[in-house]
Amino acid sequence: MGRIGDIYRYGFLLLFFCIPSLLFGQKKSPSVQATVSNTTLFTGQRLELTITISGDFRNVNRPTLPNFPGFKLLNNTPSISRSISTINGVTKSSYAYNYYLVPTSKGRKRIPPVSIKVDGKVYKTDPINIKVENRSKSSQNQSQNSGSNIYLRLNISKRHPVTGEQLIANVELYFKKGLEVQSYQPVPGWKARGFWKESLNTNQRPSVQSTVINGVRFRKARLMQFALFPTKSGELTISPYQVKVTVQSISQQGSPFNNFFGSPNSSQQTIKLKTNPITITVDSLPKADTSRYIGAVGDFNISRSINTKKAKVGQSIQIKTTIRGSGNIPLIDKPRYKFPSGLEVYQPQENSNINRSNHRISGTKTFTDVLVARSPGTFKIPQKTLSYYNPQKKKMIATTLPAQTVKVTGSPGTAETSKPSSSFSLEPITGLASWVSPHSQLLYRYWWFWAGMFIPLAVLALAYWQRSYRYKMNTDRAFARSQKAVQKARGRLDEALENAENGETKQAYNSLQKAIEGFISDRLGLPEAGLSIEQYVSALEEQKVNAELVKNVRMLLNKCATINYAPDRTAELLKSHVGLGESIINKLRKEL
Amino acid sequence: MNKRTFFFAVVLILAAFGGIKAAAQNDPQRTFGRANDQLQKGNINQALDLYHQLESQNQVSGALFLNMGLTYLRVDSMGQAKYYFMKAEKFKETRSRAQKGLQYVENKFSHQSAVLPKLPWQQALNWLAGHLGVTILLGIGLLIFNFGIFLYIIPWLSGRSHKLLPPTALTMMVIGVLVVALSFYINYREHRYHKAVMITQQAKVREKPGTSADLVSNAYDGYVFTVDRNKSKKHAGWSYVRMSNGEYGWIQSKEIKIL
Repeated sequence: MGRIGDIYRYGFLLLFFCIPSLLFGQKKSPSVQATVSNTTLFTGQRLELTITISGDFRNVNRPTLPNFPGFKLLNNTPSISRSISTINGVTKSSYAYNYYLVPTSKGRKRIPPVSIKVDGKVYKTDPINIKVENRSKSSQNQSQNSGSNIYLRLNISKRHPVTGEQLIANVELYFKKGLEVQSYQPVPGWKARGFWKESLNTNQRPSVQSTVINGVRFRKARLMQFALFPTKSGELTISPYQVKVTVQSISQQGSPFNNFFGSPNSSQQTIKLKTNPITITVDSLPKADTSRYIGAVGDFNISRSINTKKAKVGQSIQIKTTIRGSGNIPLIDKPRYKFPSGLEVYQPQENSNINRSNHRISGTKTFTDVLVARSPGTFKIPQKTLSYYNPQKKKMIATTLPAQTVKVTGSPGTAETSKPSSSFSLEPITGLASWVSPHSQLLYRYWWFWAGMFIPLAVLALAYWQRSYRYKMNTDRAFARSQKAVQKARGRLDEALENAENGETKQAYNSLQKAIEGFISDRLGLPEAGLSIEQYVSALEEQKVNAELVKNVRMLLNKCATINYAPDRTAELLKSHVGLGESIINKLRKEL
Repeated sequence: MNKRTFFFAVVLILAAFGGIKAAAQNDPQRTFGRANDQLQKGNINQALDLYHQLESQNQVSGALFLNMGLTYLRVDSMGQAKYYFMKAEKFKETRSRAQKGLQYVENKFSHQSAVLPKLPWQQALNWLAGHLGVTILLGIGLLIFNFGIFLYIIPWLSGRSHKLLPPTALTMMVIGVLVVALSFYINYREHRYHKAVMITQQAKVREKPGTSADLVSNAYDGYVFTVDRNKSKKHAGWSYVRMSNGEYGWIQSKEIKIL
């Protein structure tokens, strides 16, 4: 018993000495951190500087402020917020001193370290760099930098990949305390030119993490995730990704770890955010044997199998190549095999099973070559080496697929073909068919098109001419006289002939004279009566009519004028004069 | 030449003409019959050779294309089957059967392309081309145009004027010219853009003609494209295509078959 009492005594002493050491031994030094509301400001914008002391401490003095070059301190007396939490019986305190500063000029500034005495020990915060811009410039870049309350960023897993290598692109939303994201919607139409793009599975409700960027606390949420495969080498630029985000501002008391989708209880707005374009440099793959390389880049396992070792003539034999792993599965080309000549090769089949989870593209791609033996025998499909590029190992990996042998039995001529399933009831047409020789002609080669277009236009032109003629005949007297001159002269000549046959010589010559003079005056727009023979002749000469013709006109008109003083002429002579008059009119018609 | 001789000559000419025509008609029918026999015997390749022979001679029929579609179906060449069913669909006598075949084939493809709905304007043009045809449309346009001109010149010829006649005539002329222009546009489209079906298992559609150009998309057996023949002429072996999902790119001509 005495020994047991000793044990209790020693145990009590042990506890007596250990408890204080357990209590005070776990005490960690407090953390002191300075944060600012913005690292990029425009001139005149207020900056909030917060000195936070957290951890286990008892006494804390007010921070000793240094000079803030380029800034004006708005309050010497800080506003203080304090929180106390007890976790597992351990009480922790948090003090936050808030100061407000205003930049006095633009440029790059620095918030120097701030000293603070905690439990008698002096702590110093890290300096913070601040950029002060003009107001206009600042507002332009508002959504593009960490100075903004909310912005979108595209994070690429690698900046120097090789062609075909899988890159993971995260579309991340950064937003400050005081904002809650209600919903987001990607703007369709993002084209990552030069890349093959596959979207990866992401959570419907993205989780939010807290992060400090340039001394500013942000909340970060991954909205989308893509696998990008560069399809060529060189410098490639990923265009900005755009998202429409509905946000609402909440009171400052909100916890920094609020849910991503907050409750709609205050003013909300929808804004369009976009990431900055990102340029990456893609290295080309090392030169590969094109007969082996199948375009795969990643980590793969390649195998080949045959569905049967024994087949009958006409039976289909399937050679299945399976490529399994992670990488550019959608871009893998079909391996090319040389098959023995006795095997008929049909359209190969291809299947892909792509897994988009685990933040990468992985899965299986299978190519099935369908062969049909047309004669019995033993056919050997030779071994084949296929290669792919492994970016981790930075080299081409070759896999040799062993040869496959198939024994074909059965007599030739019993070829079978796969008939469509019984539900498909279409049978070939075997009767008389109606045959045609299709031809496609351009419309402008049809003659009737041109006829249909130009005949009506010609008719239109003709009708227009007719209309103009009639109008002129009705409105232009000189024109009408000119047009009717021939008809009128012929009437008078007929009259002259009639008079000649009736023996009325004088009337006949009178008609003949009227016919010639009337024709000349109608054609040349001269007065209808009262002109001398010389006037008619000079009018003709002015028109440069043939001199011989003018001479005949003068002679005939003189004959007609002097007939009253001449003895009676014979009817034959008169008729010959009428004939001459007709000839003169015909000739004048051509000249005038 | 007396009446009897003339009558005999006419009968002889008609008979000769009919004979030539019948012979011309019989020849493709005979080849078609042989091809069908081969198909029934299970000699797929021989049957296909004979069918292709007819096709290359520009002697075609709905039955020929339907049988070709069914033959390709038997050898699991779905793209080719789809191509010939689409051709057979254009013939009235085989339309319903071809549609059945197409329905069957569409369910067999491992990949289905997204299809961008056509704009109402394109739908209207397709309807006009399919239901009326450009020749009839051109004829209608010319008739309206001619009638408009006739109405326009009536007052000129008759000497009487009518208030409503000139504006009516002008409207008809404008409509006529527009219909003619529309028929020419459809005709131009028909000659420039052709439908094509992908007949190989998989091919890459690229931004430029050339195997090293950027990738636009992967295309699979049975995908339907619209080929721009004018643009494709400049690059031998390559066709400039618009995919059903609205994307444009270049594909190697050997991968597709133009309808």
